[in-house]
Amino acid sequence: MNRATTTLLALFAITASAQVRYEDLLKGPGADWTTYAGNYQGWRFSPLDQITAANAKTLVPKWVYHVPNARGLRSSPVVHKGVLYITNANSVYALDGRTGREVWRYIDTRAKGGGVNRGAALFANRVYFTTGDNYLTALDRETGAVVFSKQFADPSKGISSTSAPLVVKDKVIVGSAGGDSGMRGFVAALSAETGEEVWRTYTIPAKGEKGSETWGELIEWGGGATWLSGTYDPELDTLYWTTGNPWPDFAPGTRKGDNLYSCSLLALDLKTGKMKWYFQFTPHDTHDWDAQSWPVLIDLEWRGQPRKAVLHANRNGFFYLLDRVTGEFLRGTPLIDKLTWATGLDDKGRPVLIPGKDPTPEGNWVCPSVKGATNWMGQSYHPGTGLLYVLTLEQCGFFSTSAQTPQPMKNFSGGGATEEGGQVILRAIDPKTGKRAWEYPMTGAGRMWTGTVSTRGGVLFSGDDDGHMLALDAKTGQHLWHFNMGELLTASPITYEAGGKQYVAIASASAVFAFGLYEPAVSVPVKKVTP
Amino acid sequence: MVRTMRLYACLLLALPLVAQHGRYLNESKNPAIGNPEAIAAGGKLFNGSCAGCHGRDGAGGRGPNLVRRALWHPLSDDAIFKSIRDGVPGADMPPTKLPDDQTWNLVAFVHAISGPAFENRNPGDPEAGSKVFWGSKAGCSNCHSIRGKGGRMGPDLSNIGGSRPLAVIREAIVEPSKDLFLLGNEAVTVTLNSGETIKGVARNRSNYSLQIIDRAGTLRLIDMAGVKDLAVSSKSPMPDGYAQKLTSEEMTDLLAFLARQALRTAEDTYSRGKN
Repeated sequence: MNRATTTLLALFAITASAQVRYEDLLKGPGADWTTYAGNYQGWRFSPLDQITAANAKTLVPKWVYHVPNARGLRSSPVVHKGVLYITNANSVYALDGRTGREVWRYIDTRAKGGGVNRGAALFANRVYFTTGDNYLTALDRETGAVVFSKQFADPSKGISSTSAPLVVKDKVIVGSAGGDSGMRGFVAALSAETGEEVWRTYTIPAKGEKGSETWGELIEWGGGATWLSGTYDPELDTLYWTTGNPWPDFAPGTRKGDNLYSCSLLALDLKTGKMKWYFQFTPHDTHDWDAQSWPVLIDLEWRGQPRKAVLHANRNGFFYLLDRVTGEFLRGTPLIDKLTWATGLDDKGRPVLIPGKDPTPEGNWVCPSVKGATNWMGQSYHPGTGLLYVLTLEQCGFFSTSAQTPQPMKNFSGGGATEEGGQVILRAIDPKTGKRAWEYPMTGAGRMWTGTVSTRGGVLFSGDDDGHMLALDAKTGQHLWHFNMGELLTASPITYEAGGKQYVAIASASAVFAFGLYEPAVSVPVKKVTP
Repeated sequence: MVRTMRLYACLLLALPLVAQHGRYLNESKNPAIGNPEAIAAGGKLFNGSCAGCHGRDGAGGRGPNLVRRALWHPLSDDAIFKSIRDGVPGADMPPTKLPDDQTWNLVAFVHAISGPAFENRNPGDPEAGSKVFWGSKAGCSNCHSIRGKGGRMGPDLSNIGGSRPLAVIREAIVEPSKDLFLLGNEAVTVTLNSGETIKGVARNRSNYSLQIIDRAGTLRLIDMAGVKDLAVSSKSPMPDGYAQKLTSEEMTDLLAFLARQALRTAEDTYSRGKN
């Protein structure tokens, strides 16, 4: 059989059985897209190049799958051997990546707590996801059958789960949500085989532990949620995870001090969960500026020396470059133009504050807004252009305190925040300098949450603030193509290959769309089914 | 009217999913619900007075089958109480004059037989049933899996006791092709243009593509443009004849074992002591 025939047969039938090995996850995306952020370094970059800056203008929708009862999907798909997996709250859907036809669905109808789910993880022959009430569920990737479903945290302690798990070696790393209502955040490693806990590292120290002196009486409910999945350096065997804001968000008087380890980046040993170092972006945060987006790991030259670096675009308005071996602060530059709470960062990376910017009973206008300069929108690093693509928001907000006594788990954040309209600008940043290479300003009301994926084909896919799917030239930011998805975009695109063809998939608020290059339809003779 | 009927059709399709939830839209707090003594007393009353129409243990007769009710018409406990007390006007169901506590015993019984098997005390030995399930005589695990072990062609049974009444599980074993909505579980034989023949279960299919789990348990995504011939069986892939193949004791034990298969049991739940 010659190669052409083999390829032709592959177009007609895909066998989806091969296992997802650690080595496959280590390699990162190819035809498949196996982890939330693409590769362990958090690049959201694909080596696929069928769709190029030259032919992107011929992109067309290939299929749409309406996720039952979905309103505001936050999920970014993962794909293996032609099957695409998308999550909604307490549910997973496996779809044929070429046609969008459902292969199986799993709905945990007994789960308490709906809300948000950001995606699934793949490993071996399993797909992993977490429920709103903190069950890690492992399903057979091909059949949707339950392998195990095991709870890893107690929802009655204010903890819920939203992030896509990250599988590294034999561990499934999960996070914790709920930091704005009072809870104690953590990162936990669970056995990929059984769901049993291997280790758990709290993001807020217990009373009496080192760091607890940076808190007040409410330390047990201090927040520091881990809303998003993190990244991993295999050579250093280190996980990089960001932590959320301290609680109560807008009542700083109740928690005098830096409130460690909220609004921080933690470097954790994979084997033990032990904290190797931390870097706090916003000590004693008073604006709900979680360290939200995942840390992007790249190697670069810094002052003539090669460095293992970590990039972080923070909600507080600054773009950070740190040494990922030591946590040393190397550089911080403004991510946005409207930044009114700090004049800059000192040589240790600590913000130089402008007085009078904390929330007050009367309220206070501060930029950026509570949504932050960026948030959990998926960023992308393109090793070819050397640029990091970040969705940013130029927006100011109003922050006020409340006279109420803080009560955990009562949806109380110590005050309130509102924001003005604002503008979303997609920015390409050169990590070597922190300077912008280009920007793509958008129209809209500053309500989108979509992110990016970039490809070797030189295309950057994203969404805009008006519900359009976009293809831009990754080098220049020039518009190549757009498609009106008809609703607000709240999830990030990915790209994959199935049956020899490249697709780009993204969830809108209620459906998953897949796009590919235009091809004329081929007539399929209807098969008379014999009994 | 057309719209109403469409809505009704949608509801019918949606209800099996709701039924998996295992319970009613509005559960009563009456202490009889879930109380084994009340259920037993209600059962005695039911089989004495109601079984004439509704069949023994609610299996249906002149009156509706109550056991499969969870698959098509979930009622709240209060609605069942009202139906027993007031009857169903315009139908043959008469009102009753039973005292409240006895009426509630009846409701508790109906609630139990039409709710997930896991919630009830069931006859049989689950340990012995486990041997039947995993053993070669019945061969259940050749096609069905529980918590990651077993075959991959048939539906996963990890939560079968947590989602289906015992009578429904029994019916699926004894009469697998009865009343079955086979879409998603069709036995198919596909011959590709390349000459390869694949036998398996179609999880989904259209005129343009086919998604099947083959006999080896492997998911195959097939483009219908590459298919020469497709044969779809009108019967369930599940074999017939289990009522004859298994002894009555083996069947009871197997059902007791399957009734125990539920997710979100104590062992799945995070120990509060840990945190």
